[in-house]
Amino acid sequence: MVRHSKLRSWLTILGIVIGVASVIAILSMGEGMQQSVSSQLGDLGGDILTISPGVSKAARFSGHGMGGGKLPSSGTIATAEEIVLDRIDLQALKGIPDIKLINPIIRANADVYFLAKKGSVSVTGVDPKVWSQITLNKIEDGRMLGPSDANVVVIGGRLSRDYFDKPIGINQMITINNMAFRVVGILDNEGSDVFMPLQSAYHVLDDKEIGIYDSFEIKIKNEEELDLAIENIERKLMNVRHVTEKNKDFSIYSSKETAERVAEMMGSMTMFLAAIAAVALLVGAVGIANTMFTSVLEKTKEIGIMKAVGARNKDIMMIFLLNSVLIALIGGAIGVIFGYLLSGLLPMLMGGASGVTGKLGSSTIVTMNSVVLSLSISVIIGTLSGVIPAYQASKLKPVDALRHE
Amino acid sequence: MDSIISFRDVWKIYQMGEVEVPALRGITVDIKKGDFVAIIGASGSGKSTMMNLVGCLDTPSKGNISLKSQDIANLSESDLSTLRGKTIGFIFQQYNLIPHMTAYENVILPLELQEEDETIAEKRAKNVLALVGLKDKIHHLPSQLSGGQQQRVAIARCLVADPEIILADEPTGALDSVTGKEVLDMLEKIWKEEGKTVIMVTHDLHLAEYAHDIIELKDGKVVRMEKNNKQK
Repeated sequence: MVRHSKLRSWLTILGIVIGVASVIAILSMGEGMQQSVSSQLGDLGGDILTISPGVSKAARFSGHGMGGGKLPSSGTIATAEEIVLDRIDLQALKGIPDIKLINPIIRANADVYFLAKKGSVSVTGVDPKVWSQITLNKIEDGRMLGPSDANVVVIGGRLSRDYFDKPIGINQMITINNMAFRVVGILDNEGSDVFMPLQSAYHVLDDKEIGIYDSFEIKIKNEEELDLAIENIERKLMNVRHVTEKNKDFSIYSSKETAERVAEMMGSMTMFLAAIAAVALLVGAVGIANTMFTSVLEKTKEIGIMKAVGARNKDIMMIFLLNSVLIALIGGAIGVIFGYLLSGLLPMLMGGASGVTGKLGSSTIVTMNSVVLSLSISVIIGTLSGVIPAYQASKLKPVDALRHE
Repeated sequence: MDSIISFRDVWKIYQMGEVEVPALRGITVDIKKGDFVAIIGASGSGKSTMMNLVGCLDTPSKGNISLKSQDIANLSESDLSTLRGKTIGFIFQQYNLIPHMTAYENVILPLELQEEDETIAEKRAKNVLALVGLKDKIHHLPSQLSGGQQQRVAIARCLVADPEIILADEPTGALDSVTGKEVLDMLEKIWKEEGKTVIMVTHDLHLAEYAHDIIELKDGKVVRMEKNNKQK
C-alpha cells in the first residue's frame, strides 16, 4: 500500500516525520541544557555559599535574576546602606562547626591607571589567607594571593590582555587611588576585576569602613550536608543579628541550589515543549488512521478477492497493521534524521537569545534514549492508529467486499 | 460418488430496508466430486447468491450447506477462509485480479496465504502460468494484459492451490466469443485432465452446454436439474 498510493503515503509519513523530528530536537535541547547545567554545577562548587546583607542586593548578587537563598515570606526588602555584615557576624560564623573557610569580601569600583591610561574596574578585597582555597578562579600566569601579601594584586584575564592598549604582565605596576600595586597573578577568565588583600582594599576604596563587609564567601566542610549547614548558618546569623524569619536582613546564596533550580526549570520547560511536539506526533497518528481508513475503503474489493483466495481475517488485519506500522517506522526513521539535523541547527537559532536560556540552549545532545523513545512512540502510534481500520477491513464479508466497486 | 457440496433446504433472505427479499427459497442440491455443473438462470433468479454460498463467501439464512461433509455453519470465519483457499478456486467475470500485483504475484498469492513453502510455491505458480500459456508474461501487471490473458491469469490463480472445486462465475462474460471459447476449452481440459469439480454460473445457455449437469434456477428455486445430453 505504501508502494501503491505514494503521494498519500508520503504525506502521512511527513506528518510522523514532523512529530518525531520535533520530539528529538526538543529532547536534545533539554538534554543539552541538563548537561550544561550539571557541568556548571560542578564549576560553581557545591560547597561554596555566599552570605550578603539585605535581600534585594543578594538577589542581584546572584547574577541569575533568580534570587539567592530563601526569599523571606514577608517580602521586606532592606536597603543596602543600612544593613551590613560586620565583625560580630564574622565571629559568629567562625563558631559554626560546619564551616571550613570564611572569606570576607569588600567590593567597589575604582579608577585604575596603567602606563598613564585610566580605566574603571571592580576592585575586590579578599582575605589573602583563604581566597586561593575558596575561589573558583584559576590562575593563568603568576600566582594567587598569599597570606603575607600586601600591595599586590591578581587581575582578571581580560583586564590583563585587552583593557589597556598594552597588556599588563606579571610584576608590572598598576595604580589604584594613588597606591601602586604589583601584579602577581593573572586569572584564566574573561573578567576585568582586580583582587587584592582586604587591608589594601580598605585603603583604596574610600567609602569602605574597616570591619564592615559586603559579603562572606564560605566553604563548608561537607558538601553532602549543604542544606543543614545553610540552616545552621541562618539560625546563628539570625540570632546575632536579632532578626527573625520575617524580617531577615541577609541572604545565603548557594550556587548549587540555584543551579538545581535552573535545571528544574529547564526540565519543566523541556517537558512543556516536548508535550507540544507530542501533539504534532498525535496529529501524525491521526494522519495514519485517516490514510488507513481511506485505504480500507479503496481496497475493499481487493480485500474481497484476497478473502476469496483464502486470506483469513488475521491475514487482512496483518496487512493493514503492517502498513501503518511501516508508515510510522519510515516516518520515525526519517524523523530521527531530521531531528538530528534540527538539533544541530538549534544552537544557531537560539544563539540570539540572551540570558540563561540562550546560554543553556547553546548545546544540544541527541541521546540514544530519545531516539529509541520517539521511534517506539511512533511505532506504537502507528499500530494503534492502524488497529481500527485494520480490524474493520478484516471483518468485511467477502461477498460484500467483492461486490464493492 | 460422495457429494462434495450439498445444499439442504437452503434459504437466503436479504433485508432490503423493512422488506425481506428471499433470493433462494429452499434449495436442495447435491454436487458430486468430478461433476461439471452449470447453474443457469436469468438475472434475479438467485444464481449469484447460490454461487456465493457454494463458494462459502456468504452464509445461508436457513438450511445447511456441507462442503466436503463439513457443515459450513460450524466453521469459524477463519476456518472457512482456509477451507475456501484450499478447496475452491474462483474464476470471476471481471477476473478480479489485484491491479498492482503482477501476474505472477497474483497467482502465487493463494499459496502465500496458505504459508506454503516458498520454493514449492514459486515452482507451482510458474507451472500453472505456463499451463495457461502465459509463461512469458508473468511479470506483467493486469493492466498490461488483454482481457483473455487476464482471465487466464485468474484461471492460473484458481489452479495454483490445486483446489478440488473450480467455481466460475460468468467466466466469459467480459470476453469476446473467440477468447471466451478459449477460456472454456481450457476449463473443460482442466476438468477432464485434472479431475476437478467445476461449477459454472452463467446466464448463457451456450456456455451451459459445456457442462455435464445443468441446474436451472428461477425465482430462487430449482426448476430444472438434469444431465446435459447435448454436451459438447
